[in-house]
Amino acid sequence: MSQPPFRAVGRPIPRIDGLEKVTGRARYVTDLVIPGMAHAKVLRSPYAHARVRRVDLTRCRARPGVLAALCGADLTWCEPYYGPAFRDRPVLAIDVARYEGEPVAAVAAVDEATADEALDLIEVDYDPLPPVMTLEEALSPGAPRVHTGKPQAGHFADLASLRPVPGTNVCHQFHFARGDSGRALASADLVLDETYRFPPVQHVALEAHAAVAVWSETDGLTVWASTQNPYSVRVELAKMFGVPLARIRVVVPHLGGGFGSKTYAKLEPLAAALARVAGRPVRLAASVAEAFQTVRRCCARVHVRVGFRRDGGLVAVECGADYDVGAYADIGPRVVQKATYTATGPYRVPDVTLDARAVYTNTTPGGAFRGFGVPQLAWALESLVDVAAERLGRDPVELRRQNFLAHGEQFAPGDTPIDGKLEESLGRAAETIGWTQTGAADRGRGVAAMLKASVAPSVSEAIVRLHTDGSVTVLASAVEMGQGTRTVLAQIAAEVLSVPMASVIVVQPDTAVTPYDQTTSSSRSTAMTGRAVQVAAEDVREQLLHVTAAELGVAVKDLALDDGSVVTPGRRLTYAEVLMLRFGMSGGEIIGRGVVAPGRTAAPLGGSTPFWEVAVGAAEVSVDEETGALRVERYVSVADVGRAINPLLLEGQDEGGVVQGLGHTLFEEMLYQDGHLLNGTLLAYRVPRADDAPPTLECRFVENADGSGPFGAKGAGEGSLIPVSPAVANALARLTGVRLRDLPLTPERVWRALRARGRR
Amino acid sequence: MDGARSPATIHLVVNGRACDLEVAPHALLLDVLRDVLDLKGAKRSCDTQVCGACTILIDGMAVSACTYLAVEADGRAVLTVEGLAEGERLHPLQRAFLDAGAVQCGFCTSGMLLTARAMLAETTAPSREDVLHYLRGSLCRCTGYRKIVEAIMAVAETAR
Amino acid sequence: MLRPFTLHRPETAEEACALLARLGEDAVPYAGGTELLLLMKLGLLRPPHLVDVKRIRELNELADGGRLTIGATVTHRSLERSPLVRARCPLVASVARHVANVRVRNVGTIGGNLAFADPHSDLATLFLALDAHVELVSPGGRRELSLGDFVRGPWETARRPDELLAGVRLAPWPSRAAAYVKFGVHERPTLGIAVALGLNGEDGRASARIQDARIAVGCVGPRPARMFTAEARLRGVSVDRVDDVVGAVGDAAAAGVDPADDLHGSADYKREMVAVFVRRALRVAAARAGGVEPATSFPYAVVA
Repeated sequence: MSQPPFRAVGRPIPRIDGLEKVTGRARYVTDLVIPGMAHAKVLRSPYAHARVRRVDLTRCRARPGVLAALCGADLTWCEPYYGPAFRDRPVLAIDVARYEGEPVAAVAAVDEATADEALDLIEVDYDPLPPVMTLEEALSPGAPRVHTGKPQAGHFADLASLRPVPGTNVCHQFHFARGDSGRALASADLVLDETYRFPPVQHVALEAHAAVAVWSETDGLTVWASTQNPYSVRVELAKMFGVPLARIRVVVPHLGGGFGSKTYAKLEPLAAALARVAGRPVRLAASVAEAFQTVRRCCARVHVRVGFRRDGGLVAVECGADYDVGAYADIGPRVVQKATYTATGPYRVPDVTLDARAVYTNTTPGGAFRGFGVPQLAWALESLVDVAAERLGRDPVELRRQNFLAHGEQFAPGDTPIDGKLEESLGRAAETIGWTQTGAADRGRGVAAMLKASVAPSVSEAIVRLHTDGSVTVLASAVEMGQGTRTVLAQIAAEVLSVPMASVIVVQPDTAVTPYDQTTSSSRSTAMTGRAVQVAAEDVREQLLHVTAAELGVAVKDLALDDGSVVTPGRRLTYAEVLMLRFGMSGGEIIGRGVVAPGRTAAPLGGSTPFWEVAVGAAEVSVDEETGALRVERYVSVADVGRAINPLLLEGQDEGGVVQGLGHTLFEEMLYQDGHLLNGTLLAYRVPRADDAPPTLECRFVENADGSGPFGAKGAGEGSLIPVSPAVANALARLTGVRLRDLPLTPERVWRALRARGRR
Repeated sequence: MDGARSPATIHLVVNGRACDLEVAPHALLLDVLRDVLDLKGAKRSCDTQVCGACTILIDGMAVSACTYLAVEADGRAVLTVEGLAEGERLHPLQRAFLDAGAVQCGFCTSGMLLTARAMLAETTAPSREDVLHYLRGSLCRCTGYRKIVEAIMAVAETAR
Repeated sequence: MLRPFTLHRPETAEEACALLARLGEDAVPYAGGTELLLLMKLGLLRPPHLVDVKRIRELNELADGGRLTIGATVTHRSLERSPLVRARCPLVASVARHVANVRVRNVGTIGGNLAFADPHSDLATLFLALDAHVELVSPGGRRELSLGDFVRGPWETARRPDELLAGVRLAPWPSRAAAYVKFGVHERPTLGIAVALGLNGEDGRASARIQDARIAVGCVGPRPARMFTAEARLRGVSVDRVDDVVGAVGDAAAAGVDPADDLHGSADYKREMVAVFVRRALRVAAARAGGVEPATSFPYAVVA
């Protein structure tokens, strides 16, 4: 077992794909040129809700250069509905368009210009229907239904028990309780009852969704996709087209960002359907404006009641959260239940009642986005903890510390005990921001903490191949979307096998080649896929040691790997020499396999989280009271990561997470009016720019090697985003006395609250 | 006098090499660079001149290739990210981005590098404010910008 | 992507106007294309003919002579860097520096900016305060219009279909006592305030009095507008007493605008911000009159 000092792990090794990215050679899906490739364009519904009475493709199909044109009614030769939770989303609208921007028809043509012009030749008759655009509208009695008919379950085990409310727009409900929160609140010394709102926001990955699909008799269906989970896409395509999994190949080049927007099938089914009809490879690339019409974060209205004892003990939490999952459920139901399960955050709370609903509306479907439902709840709870601190006359840092779950403490029966040290993260954050020192009079400071589970059960498999010259190939399906996972996997293999980084190659995810990995999301790739790579590399090591032991007549325990050789005092065999011994000739390879599949457990969600993501944020803000303009002058993020396999990449991840969090905290909000999205392009949707980043941004890590991932690692990447909004709002409250409960904290909202407060 | 609708020949220098291309008046430079010259480094993202992912340099000036007619490049020198390195020798900005960890998904990287190069050429002793001024039109969703600014400042410092 | 069009490249203004007259609605003038090509990509405009005016020499001139003449195809970048503009009217150069982003400035032209008449145009607001006049050329001759008469409403100007915007002339402000402040979180500013104070004495004399005040407010209405009532409050005030009246002047300006609720904010917020930033811009202008460059900065605001 490797011990520090490590040769590769824990080092700020430059990312292995850095050179190709700075020279413009890195290839993304839209850079691929497949011979014979046709180009597709999509016609989208201009209505939030409408009956699609007639789609006439005659003139479109007749245009020279058009190879395929499809509408929902044409999809009789496949299973047109897909979706990971409910199979409720048609490849192209069938009878009804349920959101503005829903694909209604699509064209594949010899070039983009032809496809673009061909769209103009499609005639569609719509009968507009009344839409429900907000939670309030969707939940009101007698509201128009976004979906009628019986929902079909999708492909995930933990969602086998989906619970829609028949006759309503509620597609899933989640309930979790322990103790008697009603009684606990009744006897609490302080009860706070507030409602917080989190807006619909966009991922804005700079690369929008894209896929190239091609069918062949010998190979089946091949799709190059900008996706975070090729295996999930594969299973959707298999079900859709009735093709065995082995005859579907999903290949993933570099992603230009993901953040959750590219989890689960999005454009791949449509690209594949067009390719089937066109008889040629079809490239379907969305614009950034179309990404706004593909997926977003589930917005939420969160009603929380918390009860405290006079001495600061948190005694009860009741939560009623409604998440707007848009027109199609996507992974919304899991977002809702998984996040609500941890609605109590990082605290010990004996009595809880947690309820959440996933609600359909006629808007862009809500799916996964960094944080997976937790930012919405942390926004509420962490704001409330500060409100309580103020009412109890307690320091917010101390109040949190008092109620934190301890390392090793149970979160819920059957689930993994807490494997992070919340107090250490809090202490580091407080110290770094100078919490106990008097700050400038025009600055305010606030903190927030968070706890998040990773998806469970899940499966990651990996293969490691050692070649005759000692170089190594790592086969794993964790997707590189900028977070650096391919570099981290290489580091792990290089560490276990004691070889230089330069001799380790990590192959791009390709379901024909790299084995099953459930998803690149949920902060899990280092801990789970990395662990599978570690196990696979250890398998190779064991084989090397056994061959050498037999050859040298020594015990395996007296052998070690060092710098590309197997060594024992006085003897050293290079891997090349060991392989020669093993195969009796020059040739062959040693293959190792790793499987990480903790399986189902008795935990409430059906699987025990492989690690807990623990993080704390501290913000220092200033406000221009005349305008309400709020600036974050300084931000500290502390994440408890177990072991930072690559500290440079990890720091980059968390810096990015903080600034992305500033987006929904200060600027971002998808605005709808009269059924239309007003700001569906970057001209009107404001994401953070370089001058919005806090002038001082510090990301720190707690490393106690206490994770079940490789070398004691846990997961990271979401924890830096989640505390941002409550930390900033808490800082604003401490500076000005105003408490805002709706995001984003636009200058106008802050200004209005300051005016209501009056002069101080 | 009739205007041109059919393709015309333009003569330009791309990354130091002379090119003669036939382009239609309505062809956008981004598509010509990517699809005709196979220079895929410039990316199409927002398509509205806000994000900077398509940034290339025309006679040293940063331009949004997504909103620039190819015919306008006639007689001019175009620099794309592929032209930054000299053979195997990386441009100091490329080296600095790698060293600082300023690259994640890479989709904004070409635009960032070229914008920084334009800034360094146009600004004596650039300050952090100068960097932020030039980066106002260059979005990144992955890095939070800190390492990008750090990398550019490092090169600005050594250039002093 | 763009649909095909015919690109015309006349070498004189007369040729260009003849084309516009002949082709009528089917033709649009094209210079930098930063607004036009965007609309064409969005499919909102599909003109079969583009008349490229960048080869017309006279449109690219930057000339002095009493008034500053800025040709229509002068880019924001040229304006920002022009030694002539920096010497004669530095505020114009510093405002040009902050329009949109560096790529738009490198390609986008002053003529395109004014002819597009985006209500959020910084230069239109500033030029209104500086007595700008636009020159329009047509087959029938030339005419000059005040900018206030040229910009009629959001994206609407007095340019006739056969007319070409040839350039803009403005009176370089004789004193340093001027400022432009814009504020907003979004891609385009939420408001822009141009303030210019004409003094009866030299800059630097504390007792100099304001004899001519200009306040133009942009972005919050259908077009930029001068705040005459607010301006009147400043006449006769000495530079060192400006601070005493900024409140009243700001309130008068706020009363003079009629904003609508939109993405940038609600009407009452915008009105209040007009008051706030008129006060702030005046303080900057007054400080500059005294030869002092104030170090003030405001979040999400640019002080030029």
